Amino acid sequence: MTLEKFATTTDEPTWFTQKRQASFELMDKLSLPKMQRFNFSSWQLTPSTETIIKTNVPTACDDYILMDIFDAMTAYPEMVQKYFMNKVIKSDENKMTAYHTAFMNQGIFLYVPENTVVQKPIEIELKQDSHQPFISHVLIVAGENSKFSFIQRTRTEGDAKSVANCVVEVMAMPNSEVRYAAVDEMGENVTSYLSRRAYVDQNAYVDWSIGLMNSGNTVADFDTDLFGEGAHSEIKVVDITSGQQQEGVNTRVTNYGKHSIGNINQRGVIMDRSRLIFNGIGHIIKGASGANAEQQNRVMMMSSEAHGDANPILLIDENDVLAGHAASVGQVDQRQLYYLMSRGIDRKTAQRMVIRGFLGDVLVSIPSKAIRKELIQTIERKLADGQTVATNS
Amino acid sequence: MAELLIKELHVEVTDEEKKTSKEILKGVNLEMKTGEIHAIMGPNGTGKSTLSQTIMGQKNYHMTHGDILLDGQSILDMPVDERARKGLFLAMQYPAEIQGVTNAEFLRAAINARRPENDKISVMDFIKELDKNLELLDMSEAMTERYLNEGFSGGEKKRNEILQLLMIKPSFALLDEIDSGLDIDALKVVSKGVNSMRGDNFGALIITHYQRLLNYIKPDVVHIMMDGRIVKTGDAQLAQKLEDEGYAGLRDELGLDVNLIDD
Repeated sequence: MTLEKFATTTDEPTWFTQKRQASFELMDKLSLPKMQRFNFSSWQLTPSTETIIKTNVPTACDDYILMDIFDAMTAYPEMVQKYFMNKVIKSDENKMTAYHTAFMNQGIFLYVPENTVVQKPIEIELKQDSHQPFISHVLIVAGENSKFSFIQRTRTEGDAKSVANCVVEVMAMPNSEVRYAAVDEMGENVTSYLSRRAYVDQNAYVDWSIGLMNSGNTVADFDTDLFGEGAHSEIKVVDITSGQQQEGVNTRVTNYGKHSIGNINQRGVIMDRSRLIFNGIGHIIKGASGANAEQQNRVMMMSSEAHGDANPILLIDENDVLAGHAASVGQVDQRQLYYLMSRGIDRKTAQRMVIRGFLGDVLVSIPSKAIRKELIQTIERKLADGQTVATNS
Repeated sequence: MAELLIKELHVEVTDEEKKTSKEILKGVNLEMKTGEIHAIMGPNGTGKSTLSQTIMGQKNYHMTHGDILLDGQSILDMPVDERARKGLFLAMQYPAEIQGVTNAEFLRAAINARRPENDKISVMDFIKELDKNLELLDMSEAMTERYLNEGFSGGEKKRNEILQLLMIKPSFALLDEIDSGLDIDALKVVSKGVNSMRGDNFGALIITHYQRLLNYIKPDVVHIMMDGRIVKTGDAQLAQKLEDEGYAGLRDELGLDVNLIDD
C-alpha cells in the first residue's frame, strides 16, 4: 500500500504517518469543497502517488528557517506537527484537504522568529515534473512582530497530463506583517487544486498578491481568517484564462475579530473559449463589531465564446460593520479602443493597453516591483498568445 | 503637400434598438490641402461631428455613398489606426479615459506606431519634444505621468488632445469642438498650440458652433453646414457675417427649407 512506502522511504515521523493514514481513510467519506456556480465533481483530482520530491531551497539564513518540509519534520518536529494541516487548514475539512494530507509529496517550511524583520524578499521557485502528481505544501509561520515578504513561483515542466494539489498555510502571529506574492503557471495539461489560507492573529497583517496564470483547469480557494482583533488582510488576484480552460476561484475573507479589515480585489480576463468564475465571499461573524469587508470582482470577456461570472457573496451576522461590494462582467470598452487606434496604435496593442488598464488597479498594488514586472510580462505573453489564436481561428 | 478630398459623402446612423436608420450626411463635398486651415460651422445636429468621425473611420457611422481620398487614394477600406498612420488626426470632443496607461507611455506608443521597427524614437528625443510642447501649452510635467485622461478636467482633456496633436504631427487634424467648455485663457492656449502647427505640411478642419475660436485661429476657408450638406463656402468674413446674422438669417437668404433645432 502506497502510504507505507512513503513512511519507509523518507523516515517520516510516526505522528505524520498516522496523520496520512487517518486522512487516507477519511477521503472517501468527505465531499469536495463547495464552489458556487462551478461544478468540478467530474475532475480527476486525487491520483495516488508514492514519489517524494525533495526541494532545494536557497541556502539557509541566520534570521529565519527555510527548508524542505520533510527535513523540517526531523529538525523542528514540534512546530511542524503543531501547524501542518492542523491550525490554519485542517486535514479533515473536505476531500481535497484529506487527499493533500495523505499524499503530500513535496513541500517547504518557513519560520521567521519573533521580532525578526527580513528586508530582502524570501523567494522560492517550485517546479512540477508533469510526469508526477504534484502535491505541494508551503507552511509559513510568522512569529510575533516579525515582518517579511515571500515570493513563490510555481510552474510545470513537460506536457504530460497530471494533477497539482498545492496548499499554502500562513500562520501570522500577533503584530506580524506578511506579504505573500505568487505567480502560478501550471501547464495546459495539469488539473490544479490550489488552496491558500492565512490565520491572522491580533493586529497582524497579511497581504496576498496572486497572479493566477495557469494554463490548465483550475479550482482555487483563497481564504483569510481574521481571528485577531485589528487583524487586516488585502487580497489581490489577477487571472487570465485562455483556450478551453475552466477555472473557478473562491476568494473568501472571514472577519472574526473586532475591527478586523479584509479587502478583496479580483480582476480576470477571459479569452478564447475559456470559462472563469470569480466568487468573492465576505463573511462577518457575530461579535466582530467594527469590522470592515470590501470587495471588487471584475471580469473582462475578450471573445464571444468566453464565459465569465463575478459573484459577490456577503454573509453578515453583525450589525456594527462596514461592508460593500462591486462586480462587473464586461467586454473591452470600444470607446477606449477607438481612441487609442485613432492615434495610430494597432488594434492588438490597443487591446493590450486597455486590458493592462483594467488589471492595473490590482497590479499597481503588488508590493514587489520585480514580481510586478514579471507578472506584466507573463500577462503580455498570455494576451499575445490568445490574440494569435483569435486571429488564426 | 497632401490633399484630403471628400466626395458626395452620404452617411447614416442606425439605431440598433429601434431598428431604424437615419441619414445624417446628405452629400458632403470638401477639398482641403496642407497649408490650409478650414472651419466648418453649423447649428446643432447638422452633422459636423458625424463628418469628422466618418473621416476618422468610427464604425457606428455607415457610409452609403461617396468616397474619401487622401492623396488620391481611397481610405474607405482602411481601419482607424491605418488612417491615423496615413496622417489623419481627430481631436475628440469627449476623449476616452484609460487607467493603467500613462500619458507619456501612450504618446510614445503613438509616435512609434508611425515609425519602422528599427527606428523607434529615443528617450532623449522624446523627452526634449515633450518638454517643448508642455511648455507651449502651459502644462505641468506631472500631467504626463498621470493615467491617460483619467480624472482630467474638461480643460485638461482639451489641452491633452492638442499635446497629442503637437507630438504626433499629423498631415490633417480634425478638431471637433475643441473650444467647448474652455475659458478664455485655456482657449488662447489651445489656439496657440494649433497655430504653432501651421505650415506647408499641416492642414486642419476646425469644427465649431461659435465664431469666437476663429478669432484666435484664423481660417483660410469657412464652410457653413446645414442639414447634412455644406450650403455655403467663403473666407474668414463669412464667419463674421454668420455671427451677426445667425444661422436662420443665412438659411432664409439661401432660401433653404431646413429646420433648425433651436428654432
